[in-house]
Amino acid sequence: MRLPLSWIKEYAGIPVPPDVYRDKMVMAGNGVEGYEELGAGISGVVVGRIEAVRKHPNSSHLMVTTVDVGGDVIQVVTGAPNITEASVGAYVPVAKSGATLPGGHAGGDNSSPIRIRPGKLRGEVSDGMLCSGAELGVPDSLYPGAGVDGILIFNEPHQPGSDVKPILGIDDTVFDFEVLANRPDCLSVWGIARESAAVLGTSFAKPEISARESAGPVTDYASVTVLDYGLCPRYVACAIDNARVAPSPMWMRKALRGAGVRPINNIVDITNYVMLETGHPMHAFDLDRARDRKIVVRRANPGETLTTLDGKERTLTDAMLVIADAENATGLAGIMGGEESEITESTKTILFECAAFDRTGIRLTSRALGMRTEASARFEKGVSPYTAGEAMRRARQLVNLLDAGDVAQGMIDIYPDPKPRPVIEADCGRMRSAMGVDVPDVEMARILRSLGFAVEQGGGKLRVVPPEFRQDVDQEADLTEEALRLHGYLTLKSTLPVGAGMPGQRSPRMRLTDALKGLLRAWGGFEIYGSSFIRPAVLGWLNLNEGDPRLSPLALRNYLGEDTSIMRPTLVPAMLTALALNQNRKLDGCLLFETAAAFETVVDGKPRGEGELPFERQTLCVGGYGAGFDFYKIRGITRSLLANRGILCRVEAGADSYYHPGRSARLVAADGAVIARLGEVHPDVAERFEVGGRAYLAEIDLGAVLERQAAISRINEPPRHPAVTRDVALVMDDSVQLGPVADMMERSSGLVESVRLFDVYRGAQVGKGRKSAAFALTFRSPERTLTDAEVNPLLESLLAKLADNFGAALRV
Amino acid sequence: MRERIGALLDEARAALDGADTPQSLEALRVQYLGKKGPLSALLRGLGQLSAAERPEAGKWINAARVEMESAFAAREAGVKKAARALALAGETLDVTEPREDYPLGLLHPISTILDELVDLFSGMGYEVVEGPEVEYDLYNFELLNQPRHHPARDAQDTFYIEDNIVLRSHTSPVQARTMLSRKPPIRIISAGRCYRADEADATHSPVFHQIEGLYIDKGVSMSDLKGTLEAFARRVYGPEVNVRFRPSFFPFTEPSAEVDLTCPACKGAGGCRVCKGTGWVEVLGCGMVNPKVLELCGIDSAVYSGFAFGMGLERLAMQRFGIPDMRWLFEGDARMLGAGRGGSAQTEGRRGE
Repeated sequence: MRLPLSWIKEYAGIPVPPDVYRDKMVMAGNGVEGYEELGAGISGVVVGRIEAVRKHPNSSHLMVTTVDVGGDVIQVVTGAPNITEASVGAYVPVAKSGATLPGGHAGGDNSSPIRIRPGKLRGEVSDGMLCSGAELGVPDSLYPGAGVDGILIFNEPHQPGSDVKPILGIDDTVFDFEVLANRPDCLSVWGIARESAAVLGTSFAKPEISARESAGPVTDYASVTVLDYGLCPRYVACAIDNARVAPSPMWMRKALRGAGVRPINNIVDITNYVMLETGHPMHAFDLDRARDRKIVVRRANPGETLTTLDGKERTLTDAMLVIADAENATGLAGIMGGEESEITESTKTILFECAAFDRTGIRLTSRALGMRTEASARFEKGVSPYTAGEAMRRARQLVNLLDAGDVAQGMIDIYPDPKPRPVIEADCGRMRSAMGVDVPDVEMARILRSLGFAVEQGGGKLRVVPPEFRQDVDQEADLTEEALRLHGYLTLKSTLPVGAGMPGQRSPRMRLTDALKGLLRAWGGFEIYGSSFIRPAVLGWLNLNEGDPRLSPLALRNYLGEDTSIMRPTLVPAMLTALALNQNRKLDGCLLFETAAAFETVVDGKPRGEGELPFERQTLCVGGYGAGFDFYKIRGITRSLLANRGILCRVEAGADSYYHPGRSARLVAADGAVIARLGEVHPDVAERFEVGGRAYLAEIDLGAVLERQAAISRINEPPRHPAVTRDVALVMDDSVQLGPVADMMERSSGLVESVRLFDVYRGAQVGKGRKSAAFALTFRSPERTLTDAEVNPLLESLLAKLADNFGAALRV
Repeated sequence: MRERIGALLDEARAALDGADTPQSLEALRVQYLGKKGPLSALLRGLGQLSAAERPEAGKWINAARVEMESAFAAREAGVKKAARALALAGETLDVTEPREDYPLGLLHPISTILDELVDLFSGMGYEVVEGPEVEYDLYNFELLNQPRHHPARDAQDTFYIEDNIVLRSHTSPVQARTMLSRKPPIRIISAGRCYRADEADATHSPVFHQIEGLYIDKGVSMSDLKGTLEAFARRVYGPEVNVRFRPSFFPFTEPSAEVDLTCPACKGAGGCRVCKGTGWVEVLGCGMVNPKVLELCGIDSAVYSGFAFGMGLERLAMQRFGIPDMRWLFEGDARMLGAGRGGSAQTEGRRGE
């Protein structure tokens, strides 16, 4: 919120430079985005009175002027179209020789100032420059007439030689405050001034408010009925007769401009001025347009229409509050007035409204209609009903001051149920203990009083009534904050909690992923973080079967765009996208991994019901491509990761439809649960993701791993006796899976220590459709040295079983 | 006799000096120490000496044998050493020859930062607790003193699934769940993905990561919070870093503070772009847990107090690693992490810089 410093200074002493003021305010919780010194870069520009004007002898468009700049009379050449022989006697801004102007027109603030030097223009001496509004950064709304094409001509005489900055309202510093969400009271001059005084230790004083009432009783002008106290807890109205609608005086225009509000006319300006000063939004409307001069505050009739001040016709619902006359809605309460009742030059009788509207009601209406105004924003943040009366009295005073009309006697004030102020009993010792800072009781009381709180202090206790404009304070902790922020957060000590020691630890899931990620990293894997969102179209690229629950993913209600419209039910698309990106950026090969949740809409075997959370399947997804990458590598990576967690799985052929049908597998734990799915990416899928060549994926269900993982529990004595090894080459049909063959070998006897496949041969020597698989078997006993006599029968019976089960014959 | 033996030893020594291979050494051994060698011949000739001379001569011969054997042993060691040196010289490699290093991956920058913070806080007795990313409005807002239509809810621009289900907008719902399920003292951190309806750009992402801490016990103070966060800041940013608390507002803490640290770019001197000239950068929000939140979560606020803090990991990672654009973090480019020849992750001082 922008406020001119001069306005704040009307109510609070600020005896420090702007940068010190900013820092002190920031450290007390009153954020300052920045401040701007208006008229920065302008110096030596004074009022000049044009004494004479003649045509330039050597130019058709230049004029030579003689200007009284107070004491001196100088000659200045100008090319402005509005300076003619008729301009004699006009008062204009003159940048004398040696003056500076802002670099760039229209108050450019980022370039260095331009210095005016004496010189000659086509042979005529020019000892300065007459200035336009744009050159001084003064728009028409700040100084009427400043926007003219040419030199700014003052509307009234001024002493030649005097500084133009105060005349034009560019002698101020404008602060941009960043008000916290719990402090709507600081969205005002009074709020900021009060804080400033408390922060700087100066005093804050509101103006004496009184008004001269020169018209009849307000009840002769209007009647007000409020039909919904919930949405409108307070409604204050007053009437102005014989309105004299005109431009506001300079001081008010300057104040409004400084706050970033465009001056319009005295009546509208008063409402804005009061809003900025007190924080309380106001509205003014033409009372002659209100049928029967009745004001009814009611909910809109469903389908009722209203044309608002911006010229748009709005269709309303009964959730919206309107200000109506005897028949129709004439304004949207707290948001925008109606076009019909707008103040114009011809308005004679005015009703000022200063009401409190329910913040939620305003918010919902503002949302529903897509209308956000200064007033609605303030009501949404919370406007205290208590302050409405004072704001209205200030408005009446300003009507007097500006002579904008005759103020009617009295005010209408409908305020059926003022809430009592909270009384907070606080314990100073407990407050100090929460701060960890020794702030004496009296100091706490002093601080609170400086902020407008009523405080009774004694016996280590405070009994506090917060001021009416503070709606954010209702408990001891709130008082602690007030006391601490003004005592200074810089006084906080640095201590460590003295409570009982507790064992810190990582979560089980974190320990698991740490271990797996450590392995992958050591194997050359890079970790990626994919988005949790996915475009719906991308799910269609996965070859998923109709009815796959992943095709009915968790959808967002208020997404930003397609890219964030659903939650990903699998990490695979993000992985494939990353693989494609790295290929595209010419990385010959890579191994990537991600751990994150996949959001599933089937929970415990049933589709997620309304009001149920989805199932978040914590997943480790691994992907890779490049020379040397093949199915067995991704399988090896996956199995080793699981083996690291003590989980041994059997391999079953086949996985999801986005995998190659002949090169994919599931890793199944002893209890039958699928722990991981892996394989080569289906070429159709790879193509859609623009992954070239062969790429490989694995998805590990971390929840399943967590449930089954087992730490090493026992260390056995290393074998002391020598092993016996036997190599056997077996010939069998090519369709026989070697995994079960090896399993059978391993399980054939307790003496089999290991089985290793070391060669597979397909070719003429074994015949078409056949293969030869060579295994190295190691036999060992923990108790004794094995002999051939022991091992040979074992091997023979194993070969017989292999022949029976797999049609495998010893290769000869 | 003595002269003969002396001459023999001299002769053998001279011959040894010329032997520089194991083969020539072995030939000399046979020649001088073998059964047909001169010492053996002398021994055999002892019988021809008188009984008086015999013991003396025997001693001389044995002494000569011992001396000769040790000369052989010494020479043998020398020859072996020379041969090994020659062999090693022949095996010399060009140790500067460029070859592929062992493949080495890296964790994501956010994981790296998170890991560091978890180490720090678990060392201070905090336990990592996790919770769902898709959350009930109850835990994400209501129990944290943000009832429906609270203006602070607006600021967060939350993603909704249903009226009562949201994508968590911070990791604080984990705190609410923990307070409801455990009794104080509570000392936890929670970290993970959060979501806000921000369009992705250089400094925003609809998906982001937070880490939060919660400490609840008897007599916890705001100064304890400051000490805790100072320990954090000095670990992460270095011992010279200063911490400044600035009053702020969050619905779930009271009093609340924004925490500023000495600007890492200008070291607090001001006048730099990173800190917009203030000398400080804002890194996290914190405060004393609002007693209303404690009560909503079933903890007696007359007995217990606590503090909470939370920060965005993206910002920490970007500051730490000099990443200018948040979108890099979610792109999945392995080169960002140092893969391949174009790898851009760099250790300070690597490549001799």
